[in-house]
Amino acid sequence: MKISQLPVRNLTRKPGRTLALICLTALLALSVFGGSVVVLSLRSGLNSLENRLGADIIVVPSSAKSQTNLKQMLLQGTTGYFYMDRSKLDKVIATDGVEKASPQLFLASLRASCCTMPIQVIGIDQETDFTVEPWIEESYTRKLELRDIVVGSQVNAGIGESLRIYGVNCPVVARLASTGTGLDTAVYTGMDTLRLLLDAARDLGHDLKISGDSADVISAVYVKVKDGCSVERVADDLAVHVSKTETVQTKGMITGVADSLAGISSTVTALIAAVWVLAFTLLIIVFAMMARERSREFAVLRVIGMSRSGLAGMIRKESLMIGLAGGLAGIALGAVLVFSFSTLIEQKLALPYLTPSAGTLALLAGLTLLGTTAVAMLASARAAGRLSRTDPGTVLREGN
Amino acid sequence: MNKRMNWGACAALIFSLILTVGSRTFLGACAHEDGSFGACHWANQAMFGLGILLSAQSLAALPARDERIRMGLLIAEAMTAVLGMFIPGTLISLCKMPSMVCLSTMKPAMLILCAVILLATLAGILQARKRAK
Repeated sequence: MKISQLPVRNLTRKPGRTLALICLTALLALSVFGGSVVVLSLRSGLNSLENRLGADIIVVPSSAKSQTNLKQMLLQGTTGYFYMDRSKLDKVIATDGVEKASPQLFLASLRASCCTMPIQVIGIDQETDFTVEPWIEESYTRKLELRDIVVGSQVNAGIGESLRIYGVNCPVVARLASTGTGLDTAVYTGMDTLRLLLDAARDLGHDLKISGDSADVISAVYVKVKDGCSVERVADDLAVHVSKTETVQTKGMITGVADSLAGISSTVTALIAAVWVLAFTLLIIVFAMMARERSREFAVLRVIGMSRSGLAGMIRKESLMIGLAGGLAGIALGAVLVFSFSTLIEQKLALPYLTPSAGTLALLAGLTLLGTTAVAMLASARAAGRLSRTDPGTVLREGN
Repeated sequence: MNKRMNWGACAALIFSLILTVGSRTFLGACAHEDGSFGACHWANQAMFGLGILLSAQSLAALPARDERIRMGLLIAEAMTAVLGMFIPGTLISLCKMPSMVCLSTMKPAMLILCAVILLATLAGILQARKRAK
């Protein structure tokens, strides 16, 4: 046997001890990798929400706040519908400080069975829309024809398939990129198609609380404020001039999400720090105990000619192998848990959640592996230093 | 420490019991408001049955005196675990929306549990093979 094979033989000779050390380092890697992926996914989700909302103010009928939580609708994909007269749009456009205004029309499909969730259907005015249209253009550049629909990434329908909504077959022409928000569970279509669906729902006897023609109603107006104008002032003006409506400032919504994210980030960071301190202390104790237990073995190695630095190097190699194995195991376990249950995590946190890119994940995995290995080697450094200073003759004589 | 104890079979028994109890509790399929049963319900039923079978196989493997018999039982259990990985979503389809409980919780949890049972049985097979030699 070569002396270079000694660290591997030492580890395989005591599988229980090696497994315990690997489990401890795996815990370090799991906590830092899993926790960081969750925090990074929440940050990506927040950025995505900021990019996707696009509007500064959303004008909804007064009844909307009692019927539906708009924040829940956008963040968690809760379905909802409410309507107001189309004339409100003209009043919004006429308000000072409004640069762009575009109407949207909402409808919720029915829950037909276990496998058909209610889906939020959103009608957009393709001529004036500035919030959803740029997102749709990333995957579909043509104009949406009558009955054409575009589905969010969480809707299980492929291009070419049809979704049957209130008895109307709607072909899916495109799938949108994931945003990590409730917008991913919605279906988007043109205003004409949505009015067709509204009429179909009313024909089937569903009370949508619309009096008169479906062409005369809208659900919300998305407003972009002119540069240099105060969003708060424009929102106040809209509240005064457009009667029976509520204004929702998207900045407030994003700030709320950012506050929740900051709270979660600090909790996760504190937990990771606690796990690292605990595991690092345990590793130092374990390596010290291991060095004490193996003192005779090390003394024999010194007597047969191994140098002090060679002995310390052997311990460093053992801890390097343990760090690498534990780090890889922890990262793999963290990846399996976090990616398999990403939808569940998103639902439980009730915040936008978008998994970072493969490059970011690879970098994070690399840094975690480096950190775990460094901690394992650092923990063994003290034991290695002590051993190299011990006189082998004394150890063998004392029989320790 | 019991020298005859097969730790792989022991771990497989623990995770098989979690699978069995879980499929009736925290790993249930989607709720049915109208009393009807969707495909995910039947996938859940199949996983419950499979959980009982996996537990029985682990229980049979644990007290076996002949290591070759133990190995045979663990090989059968490993193959049952592989079958379990194909049930939710592949052999029996699940709901359409990724946000539904059968897709967000039941399927990943059952896949992970079956994978862990498979790894535990493989470790048990290696241990039994070593002792049989």
